[in-house]
Amino acid sequence: MISVRNVSKVFNAGRPNAVTAVGGVSLDVRMEETTLFKGPSGSGKTTLLGLIGCMARPSAGRIFLNEREITSLPERFLTDIRRATFGFIFQQFNLIKGVSALENVMLPAYPTGEKFSRLRGRAMATLAMLGLEQRAEAKIEWLSGGEAQRVAIARALINNPAVVIADEPTAHLDTKLSLEFIGIMRELKSRGTTIIIASHDPIVCDSGLAGQVVELRDGRIVAGGAAP
Amino acid sequence: MAHMIERHRHIIDFTLATLLRRKGKNGGLLLVYTLIIFVLASVIFFTEAIKREAMLVLRDSPEIIVQRTLAGRYQTVPISWCDGIGSIRGVSSVQPRLWGYHFDRTRRANYTFMVPAQAPPQSGHVDLGSAVARIQGATAGDTIALQGHDGAPRAFTVRKVLESESQLLTADLILISERDYRDFSGLPAGQATDLVLQVRNQREYATIVEKIARMHHDARPILRSEILRTYDAVFDWRSGVMIVIFSAAALAFLIFAWDKATGLSADERTEIGILKAVGWESSDILLMKFWEGTAISLTAFMVGTILAYVHVFLTSATLFAPVLKGWSTLYPYFRLTPWLDFRQVATLFLLTVVPYTITTIVPSWRAATIDPDVVMR
Ligand SMILES: Nc1ncnc2c1ncn2[C@@H]1O[C@H](COP(=O)(O)OP(=O)(O)OP(=O)(O)O)[C@@H](O)[C@H]1O
Ligand SMILES: [Mg+2]
Repeated sequence: MISVRNVSKVFNAGRPNAVTAVGGVSLDVRMEETTLFKGPSGSGKTTLLGLIGCMARPSAGRIFLNEREITSLPERFLTDIRRATFGFIFQQFNLIKGVSALENVMLPAYPTGEKFSRLRGRAMATLAMLGLEQRAEAKIEWLSGGEAQRVAIARALINNPAVVIADEPTAHLDTKLSLEFIGIMRELKSRGTTIIIASHDPIVCDSGLAGQVVELRDGRIVAGGAAP
Repeated sequence: MAHMIERHRHIIDFTLATLLRRKGKNGGLLLVYTLIIFVLASVIFFTEAIKREAMLVLRDSPEIIVQRTLAGRYQTVPISWCDGIGSIRGVSSVQPRLWGYHFDRTRRANYTFMVPAQAPPQSGHVDLGSAVARIQGATAGDTIALQGHDGAPRAFTVRKVLESESQLLTADLILISERDYRDFSGLPAGQATDLVLQVRNQREYATIVEKIARMHHDARPILRSEILRTYDAVFDWRSGVMIVIFSAAALAFLIFAWDKATGLSADERTEIGILKAVGWESSDILLMKFWEGTAISLTAFMVGTILAYVHVFLTSATLFAPVLKGWSTLYPYFRLTPWLDFRQVATLFLLTVVPYTITTIVPSWRAATIDPDVVMR
């Protein structure tokens, strides 16, 4: 369980252009289930995902990962947790250009110092699972949008994360590819992966994928979240 | 342990791939860096080689030379002085020397004529230094013609072309017999260019010099140590010029290193953000930046050093010719003796790779601490 307690994130604090992106949010994300954050643009979805995924620290409040407080950990440990627990799928895919699909998938595992042949084997298996084994050696810029997204998914899965976080994953996909993405998420879910998605795309919101839907507005929860 | 090695390997592989991906930027950087190392290394090699050359020149020079002056100008020395000076206590031998400079009008070159103490050529024969042989286009057995002091040409047969450890020493030399030299230069019989003394005990130098001066008021005795000082001054002036070039280049280098190091392109920022977001730590990024700097530094260092070595020792520092005009007229052609000193290379390393690495630490650290969530916006 990921427990978010009274978490706020203020950008440019103390300055005239201060923005409270997230203001005092409390919620529980249950493991092995799918949680959806929805809400209009600027409501704080991305910011909240970043806080949960240990990408940034909250300005106030605490976050617990399986009862362990993670908000105040030093960077090293935070990175370890991020790498071991979370896999990210970004809106713009954020793949590294000029590098093959395979290497992009392996990158998150480099710091772990895993033996190259083993790592390569795992990366190939992950790509194969997503139907991309033929494109493993292709450079990122040669891939179609759908292929690129699947590479991004493969990269998110390479370290066997317990939690997959996806921010607007279908924003750059057409209907067919969006449905394909939902199919992949269902597959992950059936294997017991925890999924957190931020989206206001009706295809995602109406797919019935999410067991828990949290609605945000202006950095606050307006519906769902089972906040204690 | 195996994990650490494997981690380094992965990161090095990725770093090298990244360097190749940014060919334009890194190629430019490598080029400038190599060029700077090349200039600095050439300066270091050149000054050191010149100094070494001078040591070779002076190694065999006599301990005391006696010249004669008249109204502050050098005159020839009467050979009759030898008896008097030879009888001074502590002087083991006195030898008159015959030598002088000659300007070859047709070929616009300076030669040094000398009558060697040992095995001089027979009359009508000469030995040529390598540069003279080249200018004259002559080899052993050929006949060359040179214009004497009275304007009349004289013909000489080349006995051999001189080989020597130091070309600076012999490049412009012509060895000739005493009779031919007197005839050629107009040096009167009974006169020599100077006298050289061998002295048994160093501590007696001062006394001997004093006695010579008392014996002949127009004598000008010179100690080898004084010659060394004069040479040093000349070389120091040369290296002074070099040091100016040197510091300018070093400064340019620092500015350039700083500039390149601080400038992190938007692309690079995003990439570092991505790496951090997918689980790289600050230390992994630092490691990547470290290997990036090392790869560029070492490549530039090696290529620049090798090119400088070729430049200085195989092409006689052609690119420095304008600065060293003085040398090239005095010694029209010479080749420096190849010579590589570990200390020089270490100095060069300290002056380039180390400052470069230091100037890239701060920006690398800044890159490493980029927030991972930049890529989410
Ligand atoms: N680094 C930042 N500096 C200043 N303001 C920021 C920063 N990041 C986000 N914000 C602001 O915080 C608020 C919430 O942003 P966030 O990106 O979390 O919203 P979102 O719900 O993901 O929006 P969208 O649907 O457009 O992606 C916005 O007003 C945004 O402008
Ligand atoms: Mg967003």
